[in-house]
Amino acid sequence: MTNPLRPILLVEDNPKDLELSLAALARCKLANPIEVARDGAEALDYLQGIGGWQGRESGDPAVVLLDLKLPKIDGLEVLERIKTDTRLRHIPVVMLTSSSEERDLVTSYQLGVNSFVVKPVDFTAFLEAIQELGMFWGVLNQPPPRGAAGA
Amino acid sequence: MTENPSISPPAPDVADCANEPIHIPGSIQPHGALLVLDPADRHVLQASANASAMLGADIAPGKPWPAGAPLVDALLAALTDLPAAGALSGVRRVQAGGRALSVVTSLGAQGLVVELEAPERAEADTFDALFPSIRAFVDRIESADDVAALSQIAAAEVRRMTGFNRVMVYRFGAEWHGTVIAEDSDGTLPSYLDLRFPASDIPAQARELYRRTRLRLIPDADYAPVPVLPALSPLDGRPLDLSGAALRSVSPVHLEYMRNMGTAASMSISILIDGALWGLVSCHHARPLALGPQLRSGCDFIGQLLAMQIGARERGAEAATRLALKNVEAELLARLSRAPSIPSGLGSNTDTWLKLAGAAGAAIVHDGAVLTAGRTPGAEQLTALAGWLRRERSGQIVATAELAQLYPAAHAFMDTACGIVAAPISALHPHYLMWFRPELVHTVQWGGEPGMKRVGSTGGLHPRDSFSKWSEEVRGQAQPWAAAHVDAVDAFRNAIVTFVLKRAEERAQLTEKLETSNKELEAFSYSVSHDLRAPFRHVVGYAQLLRDQHEGFDAQSRHYIESIIDSALAAGQLVDDLLNFSQLGRSALDITRVDVNKLVVECRRSLEIDTAQRAIEWRVAALPPAFADGTLLRQALGNLIGNAVKYTRGREPAVIEISGEERGHEMVYAIRDNGVGFDMAYVGKLFGVFQRLHRIEDFEGTGIGLALVRRIVDRHGGWIAAEGVLNQGAVFRIGIPKPAKEPAP
Repeated sequence: MTNPLRPILLVEDNPKDLELSLAALARCKLANPIEVARDGAEALDYLQGIGGWQGRESGDPAVVLLDLKLPKIDGLEVLERIKTDTRLRHIPVVMLTSSSEERDLVTSYQLGVNSFVVKPVDFTAFLEAIQELGMFWGVLNQPPPRGAAGA
Repeated sequence: MTENPSISPPAPDVADCANEPIHIPGSIQPHGALLVLDPADRHVLQASANASAMLGADIAPGKPWPAGAPLVDALLAALTDLPAAGALSGVRRVQAGGRALSVVTSLGAQGLVVELEAPERAEADTFDALFPSIRAFVDRIESADDVAALSQIAAAEVRRMTGFNRVMVYRFGAEWHGTVIAEDSDGTLPSYLDLRFPASDIPAQARELYRRTRLRLIPDADYAPVPVLPALSPLDGRPLDLSGAALRSVSPVHLEYMRNMGTAASMSISILIDGALWGLVSCHHARPLALGPQLRSGCDFIGQLLAMQIGARERGAEAATRLALKNVEAELLARLSRAPSIPSGLGSNTDTWLKLAGAAGAAIVHDGAVLTAGRTPGAEQLTALAGWLRRERSGQIVATAELAQLYPAAHAFMDTACGIVAAPISALHPHYLMWFRPELVHTVQWGGEPGMKRVGSTGGLHPRDSFSKWSEEVRGQAQPWAAAHVDAVDAFRNAIVTFVLKRAEERAQLTEKLETSNKELEAFSYSVSHDLRAPFRHVVGYAQLLRDQHEGFDAQSRHYIESIIDSALAAGQLVDDLLNFSQLGRSALDITRVDVNKLVVECRRSLEIDTAQRAIEWRVAALPPAFADGTLLRQALGNLIGNAVKYTRGREPAVIEISGEERGHEMVYAIRDNGVGFDMAYVGKLFGVFQRLHRIEDFEGTGIGLALVRRIVDRHGGWIAAEGVLNQGAVFRIGIPKPAKEPAP
């Protein structure tokens, strides 16, 4: 509980994408700590505070940046689990995807995604997108009171 | 299955005559004598009353043969040669004591029937003497042109051989009416050529006797019949069957018929083709006329030769007709196989379609639609007819020259469909192929008014006594359908049904294949979108990070890094464009009324980055609405307007004109610019994927834009066209069809 700001959970399997995303987040100069999960199962472990994240003290993330294509449990399923779990469904989830495939977008919105970002090829554009996301979800968005989460 | 029309229901007179048991008259004609012998020991079972006189000895049934009678001995000697289970073949001559007899035998269940007659009148009438003239006859008939000419030659030959006053060839037609098709006469008796005689003149059991016994002679219609005694056969106790006997006494009705015709002697020779009675050579004489057995055999032989020739010619003609129809069928099927559908194939080959059945009109009733060719009833009448056929004649081919007899509603369209061949092409639905023939009003010359018979004062049955020409106008009949035509329809129907089934199967297979390949394509583009894009993204990302991290790069190094970034960005753009293009084929169109003015404003706004620093003169007219998928149309217009902006780079000012109008059933929009244009020689390449007409350093782009526009337009069922003049400008026009019913905005 050293950092008063809640973390941003980045779920990304591809090391290059991870590195670039972290670089982008670093450039945004967000104060939020960044936590990383490398697949869907790990992301769910983190959120539920189980497995390798047993006894985690950092609280719910300010936002989950979730890649769509993930090993073990893919992004859409992670999204579904978060949004159907009464303890987790208040956590904002931003889908990061490599494709503009329409059905993924439609499915994501049906599952209750908070935002959907197609990763631009242009890194500058990606930086801008990450910056906007970070500002919006990490800084501006206030979480609902914990007690109301289960309602 | 076919149905034969019946001209009229059987009249009672036919039934009366047809019930007369003419094969068991119990008597013979007096110009010969008849014996029935026990086949085992040759003793006499039955004898005609004149047998004793003819043999010059006392012949009594059940008694031994009389001794010392020379003719009896000669006869018995001739019969000893007889095979145990057979009869003498041909005519045998028996001679003794200055007297001679012609002997003909036949073996039946009631014994060995022996017919005795006085021999030939003259040596010239013996079979040997007749042989040369018969051979000449064969040569003559082979050169005859047609059946009528053949028959004429045969009639003349028979008259020459026999001396009858009149010899006719009588041909049975539909319903067993008979027509005289050839006649040779010395003028003593009236001419019956071309006259038609009703079926009742020769009733069914008489026709059956003609079929079984080819030749029948009545030398004198005024003869007194000679009884055969005892009346019942001692072998089976039944009346003696004389159907095979030349001497059989004929029906008194027939004798009266002859007298009414003014004839005293008659002879008939059956013309049998493939075992069926085709016609008769019918000979008449005003006075009694006797003919010896050998001469009769000669005439019989003439009849057989005639039958063989007619049969060969009819079979030849039939074969030629069928071959021709097979060719028509093959031609029609070949054309149908290239047609998009069977109705459309038939519709564009109407002549062949009609020819298949020799019809004046044809129709296909299929899936509630009616397509016709030639002269036919109306669509509603045909639909009703198809429904009736389906209910009343399910699964059958119906061929009739008198449809109204089966289906009274057909009275309304006798002028087009008096006769019909209809073939079902679906097991489940009233789908029919039909061919039509109009009513053929024609005149028949009857030999006397048909159906006229009088009942005499004695209450007995009498034949008609008038043979004067009587004309009848026949209505309600079409030209009858030949078996070859009905068979051609059947074969064609089978081919169509097989063909339809095959097509449906092929289509199902194709659909399945398409679905599979569509799914594969979808999976492919899905993985392309994810996996191919990522590396480009990484290249750009790292290169930009590198560029930003090292301020100290020299100009050349910076140029290299910028080139890496440009190339990777271009590749990424290419992937996005391709993906967009492939997605276009998949999603369903959402057609609404689209405000094109608004779309153009949006497109221009999205191009502002490129247009802000440019001098562009926009000339945008008020545009009519389109009926299209708004998202796709915006993409198409955006591409065209973007191109106009791109290719007018350097023009001062650039002029971009956007106009639209409603033209017939479509909306046409035009985007005109004064840019670099293009050489019309390359207009065909303009809309291909990856086709570029400019160097990449002059005008950026992936070469997919216009292909995308065309695909969008295609999906709307519209068109795109381009005109250009190099260095002067280009105009692109798209046409988007208007729906028949306007969708909600």
